Amino acid sequence: MTVSLSINSISAHYGKTTVLQDLSLSVGAGELVSLLGSSGCGKTTTLRLVAGFLQPTSGTIKLGDRDLTTLPAHARDIGLVFQNYALFPHLTVLENVAFGLKQRRMATQERQQKAGAMLERVGLSGLGDRLPGALSGGQKQRVALARALVIEPPLLMFDEPLSNLDAKLRVDMRVEIRQLQRANGTTSLYVTHDQEEAFSISDRVAIMNAGRIMQLDTPEVLYRKPANSFVARFVGFENLLPLRAIQREGVLVTAEGSGGARIALSQEDFGPIPDSFVLGCRADGLSVQREGNGLSAVLGTRTYLGRAYQYQCTTPAGDIVANGALSEPLAAGSAAVLAPVPEQCCILTPEK
Amino acid sequence: MKHLAKWGLTAPAIIAVTLFLLVPVIITIAATFGEQKGLFSPYITFFTSGFRRTVLFRTIEIALITTTISLIIGFIAAYVIAQMPGRAKSVMIIAAVFPLLTGVVVRSFAWLIILGKNGILNTILLSIGVISEPLSMLYTEGSVIVAMVYLFVPLMILTLVGVLEGIPQDLIQAATSLGATPAATFRQVILPLATPGLIVGAVLVFTGSFTSYATPQLLGGEKQMMMGTFLYQRAMVTFDWVGASTIAAIMVVVTIGIVAIMSRIARRLNPMAV
Amino acid sequence: MTKSVHPALIALTACIFLFLLAPLVIIIGAAFSDTTYLTFPPQGLTLRWFSNIFQIEAFRTTAITSLQLAFLGTALSLLIGIPAAYAISRYRVELPRWLSTLFVLPILVPEIVFGFSLMKSITIGLGLPIFPSLLIGHALLVLPYSVRVVSASLASFDFSIEEAAISLGCPPLKTFLTVVLPNIRAGVIAAFILAFITSINDVSVSVFLTGPGISTLPIQILAHMEQFFDPTIASVSVLLMLVTVAVMAIVEATLGLTFLTK
Repeated sequence: MTVSLSINSISAHYGKTTVLQDLSLSVGAGELVSLLGSSGCGKTTTLRLVAGFLQPTSGTIKLGDRDLTTLPAHARDIGLVFQNYALFPHLTVLENVAFGLKQRRMATQERQQKAGAMLERVGLSGLGDRLPGALSGGQKQRVALARALVIEPPLLMFDEPLSNLDAKLRVDMRVEIRQLQRANGTTSLYVTHDQEEAFSISDRVAIMNAGRIMQLDTPEVLYRKPANSFVARFVGFENLLPLRAIQREGVLVTAEGSGGARIALSQEDFGPIPDSFVLGCRADGLSVQREGNGLSAVLGTRTYLGRAYQYQCTTPAGDIVANGALSEPLAAGSAAVLAPVPEQCCILTPEK
Repeated sequence: MKHLAKWGLTAPAIIAVTLFLLVPVIITIAATFGEQKGLFSPYITFFTSGFRRTVLFRTIEIALITTTISLIIGFIAAYVIAQMPGRAKSVMIIAAVFPLLTGVVVRSFAWLIILGKNGILNTILLSIGVISEPLSMLYTEGSVIVAMVYLFVPLMILTLVGVLEGIPQDLIQAATSLGATPAATFRQVILPLATPGLIVGAVLVFTGSFTSYATPQLLGGEKQMMMGTFLYQRAMVTFDWVGASTIAAIMVVVTIGIVAIMSRIARRLNPMAV
Repeated sequence: MTKSVHPALIALTACIFLFLLAPLVIIIGAAFSDTTYLTFPPQGLTLRWFSNIFQIEAFRTTAITSLQLAFLGTALSLLIGIPAAYAISRYRVELPRWLSTLFVLPILVPEIVFGFSLMKSITIGLGLPIFPSLLIGHALLVLPYSVRVVSASLASFDFSIEEAAISLGCPPLKTFLTVVLPNIRAGVIAAFILAFITSINDVSVSVFLTGPGISTLPIQILAHMEQFFDPTIASVSVLLMLVTVAVMAIVEATLGLTFLTK
């Protein structure tokens, strides 16, 4: 049973502060969409609205053809996985997993069986009689997962489920979560502040800021073609250069930025270049060379990254972080040229 | 050097408690033994005396009733307070705790005004015609219980609000998300997790009411003698110091016994114990 | 954001608060009544029962005694309690478990048994005069507040700032007075207030230790009640309540009152 989730023009307030303004989002049947952003961006608020712990001041939430907006939280039939696991400390692991089934009036025998089977699926068979206090972080997370899955909800929601686990466990667990989600085909909404996590497991990601969705796309598109400077900076385009095209010769565009800095870009490599735009470059997007075509710069502090050198550069257009080859370490104070590397750059239209 | 520091710092307090509390109380209890009439004779006298047994049982009964009523009232109030938003919650807590700070005499004396023959309750009942003659409500078990409940409800509320706030919010949300109605969440999650704290609160109120003096003195008088007032009477009116010490010893045993047993139970039941 | 609470529960809670606060209102009202007996609502308004307090010598002297006992007793308990609390917090692992229990004994042992035993052993046994006996009784009665409340404050104290001060050349005692104490100010003030109020209102311990010429205000109120059941008692109660309000106002102004729910 797969349904789609549609959030339509939701607004939410905490007292006088507007936390979400006119937010809309759809998650297709069987899709896993992540809400990604730093704290305060509104991602958790959105999740709590869908869960029913918060009431929107306007807008609707629909799951399949059910309108959730006025439904009380306990009637929404959504599986929730919490950041701090929220396991009931006074119930055994088995009773924890069976809790949702008990609320649905399933007979004891049947629900214990189902809970036991789910525990096996998450790799925790044999731990049914333990109390949550005796489990490790990773085990607790699996119990939380099992508890949400066993009720076979039409929608699963994850509230930063892995942030309390250590790095290695986080990677292993996110793969497991994705595999379980894919196997069940359950529509899922996933909240996280970890970009790598969101990109590695999601079908699409919504990058959020200040209560708005800045861009909703597949991870590949977000990474390569950010729609605005917020998203660009978020996915790692550290350097944002506002430029104006001053000369066009066929596919070659010469652009000028502040301070008279000049750079030549080919539309063959970069795609169509408007007259006024922002060039976004990762540190790898501007290659530090002794001479050649590119932005002139003076090099500052050099740091060793292992795979490259990184330079703090001063250019007429501003300060830039750029990487250079290990074979050519350049001294601080020397003049250099920053050559654009098209695959590590993006073009943005300036009004966003 | 550190050894000296830690003992040096705690020594005055240790000496004070030992010298002025521990030793005198032990002496008091010891004074009940070693009577010429036999080692346990004061206790035998106590438990074979109908009057004394009545005092003890009455005290236990009143303490139990007070505890039960205070638990119910306190829990309802604490539950509602715990759900309130910040500002309202602080105001309610202050309002609930304020009586605690006015002292036992003030709070017991209020009930003399309310329950007396010329008191408010009688005046109201007479004026609306429910009774034709003023009721004699003072110096009954009921008046003592009402005043004791009034004395201990704020303490119970304070304890229970702390207990309820100790239950993590996300547990309640988890239960709700799994389909538990508010009533089911209360029964299956909140109540079990609050139970150890409830036990602690109940023990506090029970021992407090069991050993109470001022309230039974004012509202019970000699007709409703309780262990506290009985102790005073034996000591300062009849100068029966062995008898008084016996009462004291029984009070100590009951108090410490209940605290010890119930603490064990509370700790055993506490799944969130760190 | 308020979660929805069943209206029946809210109604019940309103009744409970009425139950808690109405008797105090009644006392306040009765204190102003222009009658020689206690009645509510007050019939006629007068302040004479308040001035009566000051005219009755017994009330004047016992009020002073109560204040002396409260200040001195609290000060004494803080003097021996704060170092003990500090030692327990700092050297927690190296001190025996029974130590914390020892300091809590005054709460575990029934007050009335404590008062009786103290009178027997100290006042009569050792022949100690009344005021010192009362002082010892009050100081020990409130000792658990000094130890427990200050310990709680110390639990969130970062001892590394103490080490920083010492490493910068500050001797231990000075460090305690100038670095530790100011940072546990809230706990000390809270302990002082709880101890002070407990001492001022105490009956069970004082009732055995008071004697000819020296008594405490609550005991005097009880005695007065046996002879004169008049509004003076209500006005004294109002005065006591005002002391509590004053104390709480000071706390609110300096600290905020939310620490009460710990």
